[in-house]
Order: sequence, then C-alpha cells, then structure tokens
Amino acid sequence: MSQTEQKHESVPRCTLCPALCSVVAVQSGPDAWRSECEQTDQGAMCPRGSAMGDLLGHRRRILSARRRRGAQTTHVDIPAALSEIASRVGGTDATILLDGNLPCEEMAVAAAWCKAWPGAKLCLVIEPADEQLLLGIEASGADYLAGADLSECDGFLIVGDALAANPTCAKGIFDRRKTATRTPIVVIDPGAGTGSKFATHVVDTAVGGELAALAAVAAAAGLDAAAGDNASAAAAGKALAGCKRLAVLIAAEHARGAAWRQIGYLAGQLAKAKGGGVAAETFGANALAAVRLGPKLGAIPLAAAAENTANWIAVGCDPIGLLGWTGRNILAAACPLPNATTDAAEIVLPVALPWEIGGTYLGGGARSVKTLAMLPPPAGVPTPAQLVESLARAAGIGACERLSAPDPAARTSPDKPSSAPAPAKAPSPALLLGRQAAHAGSGALSGYGPWQAEAIGMPELRVSVEDARELGLKAVAIVTVRANGQAAGARVKIAPELKAGRLVISEGFALSRALAPCRADGGQMAAEPVVVAVSKESASAE
Amino acid sequence: MTTASSIAVAKRVVTNLDRCIECGSCAAACYVSHGNMPAVNFAQSGAALLPVICRQCKAAACVEACPVEAMVLDEAGVVRRRIFRCIGCGSCARACPFGVLPARTAGVPAGFRSTDRMSGHQIPKCDLCEDRTAGADGDVVPRCVAACPAGALMFVDEHRAAAEHLAILGGRTTGENPYKRR
Repeated sequence: MSQTEQKHESVPRCTLCPALCSVVAVQSGPDAWRSECEQTDQGAMCPRGSAMGDLLGHRRRILSARRRRGAQTTHVDIPAALSEIASRVGGTDATILLDGNLPCEEMAVAAAWCKAWPGAKLCLVIEPADEQLLLGIEASGADYLAGADLSECDGFLIVGDALAANPTCAKGIFDRRKTATRTPIVVIDPGAGTGSKFATHVVDTAVGGELAALAAVAAAAGLDAAAGDNASAAAAGKALAGCKRLAVLIAAEHARGAAWRQIGYLAGQLAKAKGGGVAAETFGANALAAVRLGPKLGAIPLAAAAENTANWIAVGCDPIGLLGWTGRNILAAACPLPNATTDAAEIVLPVALPWEIGGTYLGGGARSVKTLAMLPPPAGVPTPAQLVESLARAAGIGACERLSAPDPAARTSPDKPSSAPAPAKAPSPALLLGRQAAHAGSGALSGYGPWQAEAIGMPELRVSVEDARELGLKAVAIVTVRANGQAAGARVKIAPELKAGRLVISEGFALSRALAPCRADGGQMAAEPVVVAVSKESASAE
Repeated sequence: MTTASSIAVAKRVVTNLDRCIECGSCAAACYVSHGNMPAVNFAQSGAALLPVICRQCKAAACVEACPVEAMVLDEAGVVRRRIFRCIGCGSCARACPFGVLPARTAGVPAGFRSTDRMSGHQIPKCDLCEDRTAGADGDVVPRCVAACPAGALMFVDEHRAAAEHLAILGGRTTGENPYKRR
C-alpha cells in the first residue's frame, strides 16, 4: 500500500501509539466497560490498549468543572468556568495547549477558533523528543515503515527501546528472523532496553551518545558519517552493509539529550541508502500529523509556549507531567482524568478521551487511517475542539472561518538539521529514563488502567548486576531514587545487560519525569541524563 | 465433570521464548477480562521475566490437591476452578509442579489476586477463555494469545507445536538466560 493510501475500514482503534490496533469496548457492568481485542490471533492489544475500556467509565473520570482555591477545589458549572477563564485571559495572550495526538479534524477545528480569537495561540503538544525526531526524519526524505513492512526487511537497526514503545513492531522483526535466522538486529540503546536481549549486535553506546554510535554504524555501513573508534559499531555497521531493505526503528527516549533531530535525519539517510525506511515509535498515533499540520494550522512550538505558562489552557494533554515540571501554576486544564497538569491548574474542566472521538490519524508507515470512537463521550462532556470553541465563544468570538483541513499525508520539508550540540559530560551514576509497554507518555491516562494500578503501581528501576551488588539491592526491592531535588519510589529490576554506572527508570510516570525535567534549549525542549542517588526504603514501604 | 481423567485438552497456550518481549500484554488482557483476577503468572529466569500459563495437565496435581473439589477436569480436558467452591486455601498453588497458580499477593508480576472483591479469597485459574473459545471455530484464541503483539503466545495442539519446533514447557523456566537458547 502506498503511503498516501487511506485505510477506509472504520473501526475503533487504540490511539496510544502508531500501531493503531483495533480495540472494541465490551460492557462489563453498569457504566463499566473493558477493552477487547479481535477474536483471532490477527491483532494485538498491549497493556495500554487493555486500559482503554476501563477508563471510559473510570470512577475518577472528570465529569464536571472545578475551581481551585488554595488546597481546596469547589464545583462550578461549565459555563461559569468558561466565563471565568475568558475574563482572566482578558486582553492578554492565552496559549491553548492542545493534545497533538487527536484526530486531524479536531486539530483543524481548534486551530480555526484560535485563529479567530485575538491573543489566543495554539500549541500542539507532543513529546518534545518525538517532535525533534520526526522533524529530522521528514528532512531526510526517508520512507516510513510499520507493521507488516518490517517482515519484508532484511536488517534492523533499533535506536532506543522501540519494542517497548510499540510492542507490535516486534512481530515483524521476529517473523523475518524466523525465515532468515541470520538477519542482523543492531541495537543502540545505552539503557539496554528490550531490544538488547534480541540483538545480534549491541553497539557500545555512552550515556547521551546515541548520535555518535549511530554515525559510527552508518559510516561502517557505507554512509558518509563520522566513524569514530567504536569497534562494536563498526562490526554492526558491517553486518548492515549488505542490506537491501533496512528498517530503522527509533523510540526517542525522554532525558537522553537534545540530538533527536540529528538522529532522525541520519537514521533516515541510512535507511534511504539501504533501500528501506524508518519506523518512528512515537507516543500517540498522530504525532507525525501534528508535526506536519502544526505550521499549516499556525501552531507555535512548545518551547515558545513554555516562555509564559501562567495563561496556559491545556486541552486533553498533560504538558506539566510530560515535561517533568513541578511547582508551576497554570490557568486551566481540561483533561479526562486527573494528572500533573490538572493538579497545577486553577480551573479544571472535563473533556472527552481520545478514543471517544473518531477521525483521521496518520499512524505507522505514515498511512492515513480513519477510526471510529469506541463510545461517545459522556453527556455534557465536550470534545477538545468543542471545548476550544466554547472558550472562544465565552471570550466573545461569534464565529470562525473554517479552515479546510490540510492533508496530513502531504510531506513537509524542514531544513536539514544543524550540527548537534556537543553532548555534555555524562553524569555518573547516570539516571536514564526508559520506555515500557505498560504506559503511554507520562502515564496520565494509562496509569489509571486497572492492571497498571495493581501490577505496576510504581516505576521500575533497572540496575546492573555490578551496581546492585555495590548498592546492596535485590530484585523487587523498593528504593527511593533522588535526582534534580526530586524523589521517586521505584522497584528494582536487576538487568544483566545494563552497564554499571547507569540506572534506568520507567518514564511512564510524572514523578519519574520530574527527576529529569525538560528545559528550553536552543528553541526546543530537551531533557538530559542526570546524576542519581538511590537509597533503600524501609521494609514497611511495601 | 471428573476429578481425574485421561482426557487431554485439544490445544494449549504455549510460549515461544524467542519472541517474548516481556510487555505484559497477556497479563493485562487476562486481568481486565477475568474480573481483575489474572491467571497469567510470571517467572523470573535470569534476564527474562516470562509468562507462565496453565498447561492444563492431563493428570493435574491441583485437582488432586483441592480439598473441596473446586478444581475439576472437564470433558474437554480443561482444568477448571469452580468459583463458588474455592475457599482460597492455596493447596492447588502449592501442589502445582510448574508454579503456575499464583499463591499470594505479591504486588509484582509474580501473580497477584484482587483483594477488593469476593474473588480475593480465591485462586485465579486459566479457563482458556471459555467464553470466547467454547463452541467457536479453530481460529478463536484465548485473550492472552490474541493480545500478544510479538506472536510469542500460541494456542496450538501438540502436533503443531512439534511442527513449529516448540517444546511445551512447564511453568518454570530454567537456565540463566533463556534468550541464549537461540
């Protein structure tokens, strides 16, 4: 199927990653639903998808507006809340931070209202690392791959923990390996994620050294790039040199530096040179569409929006948790479930879940997919676009000029990225954040899943055998992880494949992200690895 | 129903160790569809944390051990737990030679039980998703298998398992690093 071809079958789909697996809601009681995947073994449903059904009628679902007064919140009706937000904004600027993983139609309608609203700016919120990665891939001109495409590739280069970011991509790799057992699987991941266990070649990668390792692999594979003196990268590159169709799978991990744009560009060039493509395993299904549509819809970058957070109105997203920020106050947040952003907001509003809205997504392989809503939103709960319209109307805007929805399949041509800044000296011991299959993004939604709440109530801390011995840690011990003046509880997992001096904590928790928060860096938001301290909790903590 | 039988279940859930990426999809799918009482257990084996799922033994030790006849072997060879008979004594869990039945609340992927429901006093037991698979055609699979994104879990008979060069393993996996088996 060509990349611009649209899948027309409309079924409810999980919108939490580009795989867009079909998931249906099954009633499991009065006002209670659960997720169900297809009857046969043709589909898949990772833990994130399993959580979706239960969230439809979750007991903590935000169904009414509330106003914060100090530590207390009081009920307020939605029109009064909207009027208060409009009056608070007054003649000043307001920034609408809209979830960038909504259907394209929602983004277009919200943009039209923001355009008609003087002083209002729109920002499409996706993971900062994902945004930079996608800009780099777009600039490279590489094709996008996904799903079944992968089983047709004859070599795989995995950067970051792409198998955890999108577990379905593992099937294509394993299917290929089944028929061609010598297929090279090269992994570049200083956090030694899932892919490291299945790799034929693990590239020795320093903390924050993904770009250097990728350049060395690319050089050894025949590309004009900085070779360096990395023997494991040279061996890996030689293994990929003969590939006729190379798949590069990338998960842009949080707190791994500011070079994701350059990584995306170089990975795209390598994939193009080897007749293959790139699979960007982003958070959410529509990150690529947000990158492509953002400039056309007049959206501002998150780094620009971050200059003044006081008048933030977050709609359907959790920017505070995503960026790992603490101690901030914002004007308003409309979210389906409580999160770090609603905790920071003076006014909290209800809004529909992403899977209560049907529409167009640009999923894996940059293929346009129409989805149906799992269920309609609860009565009185607006969609994000409806909420932006109501806010604009409360501010006195009577009408907007409907923008013709731009085509998300139309590729953008951003500039070739400039050279990456020299990586900072690696901290020691270094805290890295790593993806896991259980959560999407900062866990603002999937964290409310019943399985997540019971089985994965706290982050997992991967520790090397050497560090575990030195720190006296045993598997499943509860520890406190301290960095950046913040602390988070975590459960230890001994990871034999991890190098000493590196600890990897699950990034699907806002409290994990607060250990290594994003900062504005050269016009983009980025987070760096940080120095970490680990101490054992008392036994009563469990 | 019978307490001991020579009946063998037609198909079992088997795990291909070369494909398991430890994502937990099987456990999550089982959890949300079985009243928050999952039957997918996990076994730590060196670097790996692998799912272990009831193999529906032909001569099931859990059936023999149950003091209240809550565990029975049905006509299809599936070992079932009769929910209203189970007193949660844990005899079956201790008897299981494969460590498949979770015996205690651990809070970690080593098996856990709901504590906020009636079922909190009962032992979770895989029923091969009988609500999906009973009477269905051959393509319908239990939820853990349907959910598995890596194709690591398969619902197969012994002949197909042999054809795929898959050994039907017990619940516990031995060896420091099962991924090295390749």
